[in-house]
Amino acid sequence: MLEYRTQGFNGYAVKYSPFLDSRIAVASSQHFGLVGNGRLYVLGLTPKGIIAEKWFDTQDSLFDLAWSETHENQVLVAAGDGSVKLFDIGIDEFPVQSWKEHMREVFAVHWNLVSKDTFCSSSWDGTIRVWNPTRPTSLLTLPIHSCTYSASFSPHSPSLLSSVSSDSHFRLFDLRTPASASNHLALTIPIHSAQAPTQISATQPSGPAGQFPPNEALTHDWNKYRSSIVATAGVDRLIRTFDIRAPGQGPLVILPGHDYAVRRVSWSPHLSDTLLSASYDMTCRIWTDGSAKAEPPHAGSEGFGGEQGRELGRMCRHTEFVCGVDWCLFGSEGWVASTGWDERLCVWDVREFMGP
Amino acid sequence: MSKAHERLSQVQSHLASSEADIPLGRESILSKSPNDIVITCALRTPFTKGGKGGLKDTPAADLLVHALKSLLARSKLDPSLVEDIAVGSVLPPGGGATEFRAAALVAGFPESTAVKSLNRQCSSGLQACADIANAIRSGMIDIGIGSGVESMSSQYGPGAVTEFSDLLESDPEAKNCKVPMGVLSEQMAKDRSISRKDQDSFAASSYQKALKAQKEGKFDEEIAPLHNVKFVDMKTDEEKVITVDKDDGIRDGITAESLGRIKPAFAKDGSIHAGNASQITDGAAAVLLMKRSTAERLGQNVVGKFVSSSIVGVKPLLMGIGPWKAIPVALEKAGISKDEVDVFEINEAFASQCLWCVRELRLDEKKVNPNGGAIALGHPLGCTGARQVATLFNELGRTGKRIGVTSMCVGTGMGMAAVFVKE
Repeated sequence: MLEYRTQGFNGYAVKYSPFLDSRIAVASSQHFGLVGNGRLYVLGLTPKGIIAEKWFDTQDSLFDLAWSETHENQVLVAAGDGSVKLFDIGIDEFPVQSWKEHMREVFAVHWNLVSKDTFCSSSWDGTIRVWNPTRPTSLLTLPIHSCTYSASFSPHSPSLLSSVSSDSHFRLFDLRTPASASNHLALTIPIHSAQAPTQISATQPSGPAGQFPPNEALTHDWNKYRSSIVATAGVDRLIRTFDIRAPGQGPLVILPGHDYAVRRVSWSPHLSDTLLSASYDMTCRIWTDGSAKAEPPHAGSEGFGGEQGRELGRMCRHTEFVCGVDWCLFGSEGWVASTGWDERLCVWDVREFMGP
Repeated sequence: MSKAHERLSQVQSHLASSEADIPLGRESILSKSPNDIVITCALRTPFTKGGKGGLKDTPAADLLVHALKSLLARSKLDPSLVEDIAVGSVLPPGGGATEFRAAALVAGFPESTAVKSLNRQCSSGLQACADIANAIRSGMIDIGIGSGVESMSSQYGPGAVTEFSDLLESDPEAKNCKVPMGVLSEQMAKDRSISRKDQDSFAASSYQKALKAQKEGKFDEEIAPLHNVKFVDMKTDEEKVITVDKDDGIRDGITAESLGRIKPAFAKDGSIHAGNASQITDGAAAVLLMKRSTAERLGQNVVGKFVSSSIVGVKPLLMGIGPWKAIPVALEKAGISKDEVDVFEINEAFASQCLWCVRELRLDEKKVNPNGGAIALGHPLGCTGARQVATLFNELGRTGKRIGVTSMCVGTGMGMAAVFVKE
């Protein structure tokens, strides 16, 4: 395991460069993101260990980042003052662009992986905004009316955009639909709804219809292989997967195990059934949702998600809340990076932490 | 709250709900969230007897002006922040839309405050509160008032229902919608064998509870007294100016025995009479709603929160069973059981139907209408739902209890209920 210490700054998000296998960026904040400055680290993986190639300080905390999909030197950050900033590694100190439209903390930024010409941001102000990096103002605002911790473009379609928010709902927006009264909203799934096959109709309004009460959803991610599968997680400690083609069915799989709220989930770019999570319980965990038929579920899996999904392993080296995880896109399929409030970036191989 | 505080409490909320097991039922609705729809003020006018009480010569819109003015005075809210006022009212021609808009202007609201009138019969006042809560929840407005008003003295009568067309008359179930409440309730009491004796003792207890509450001043907090009310003395025809600060339908000395001597009103062998049915009454009530985050920003005193509401349909001839069907739905939406509720305010349209619902739901009778209900206080149709909210919070606050439910049956066969939490 490799480490880098983000001294004085608590990590909130980490992302591998989509262009270079040796470059990682970390979004971090002083004083646990409550007050103070933010810092974006651009780190290089070298034979001598991890070194800081560059860093950028910001006036307010940073909560998320996304690499540009068009320019290998550019990184977006989500800032506590409501701004979204684009930094260029070749340019010192100041961002090349800064967009200030959100009224409150921005919690997520995500670049469109398909069209590559847009990105989105989501905020505590209850909106998602869609941007083009060459334009000074946002292209589109999507109202959520609830603190939106996570927003993401589908990796399979340039016009599908999703979010999860503190009102316990997953929302899917289809930007191809006309901007009518529904503001492109194509689908809403109450995350707390009961698991299939209980009779919950797709038309049933939200509310504690199932066995779970609503709870804040903090993170979600699109499966990189199965275009209709998303994973969500949040305050109720459970990771769930949904099939957006069958929104009324409830979750496909529920993965219990984390002891505290789950801050981030990320599907593997290499294996269609494998998930990585980071939690306030100071662990990162590796999961299978049980969909890979080649590998039959192990016997005696201690009831993790019943016969289907289960925990494959956990990394317990962090000593504070873990807020960010990301998979390396290159090379062998197990390398990941994690960061958290213990002022550390850890780069590790999930296979080291998986059971026999 | 500073930004750092808000961020800290956000992280705390992420952890708090993980630490203990996720709360279920009661605990989950007692928790506070910035997105809660809260009530920061709820009040009513005194309720006075239709045709002879202190407010008999005060038009409905004037009653509404008074309730709205009092709400502004008590909450000290800047009226220009109120974006919509919903007024439940059953009897006025045209729904009262024109005069209620005018009433809001008189009460001190600027032209930017919108007003609508609505009519879901006896649940109009509660529907007004629920509509406003839902409009706030959806982001349509930030601050609104749910209210209800009825002047039965001036507007009660056959004019309130349009003549049925041949088409409506041709459908047996549709035709049932216009069967008078008394007649169908009489039939229901017979069919469901609710004895005259039980009805009378339920009604007498409503009077006794209300009388006790009035003597102990328990209604004083929710009532906004009216001064300089014009009143024509019926004996002398003399016009006087009076102060109305008390409900005048509450009578002393009512017992099950004394009610037992009254002749039935709707059938010779019937069981329903003026003493065990709701009174014809004038009154208005108003409830101020907003998000908790808005209330905190404006320094408003949070009285409690709106949790859930339900609306159901039943057979028109069995409209009295509405609460029996509506209450479990509202409880289920709130995720709690009936035993977790501290106080029920169920409208006493008739002792027979209210008693039947309480028994059928197996509610603890001590929790139901602890200060009496419409039999003693009166039932100004469109106002009752909003009145119950004021009475409910008043009672919960005084007794240190937390969870309350309001419900009522609705003419033409419906039921409505809502769950509130006192803070």
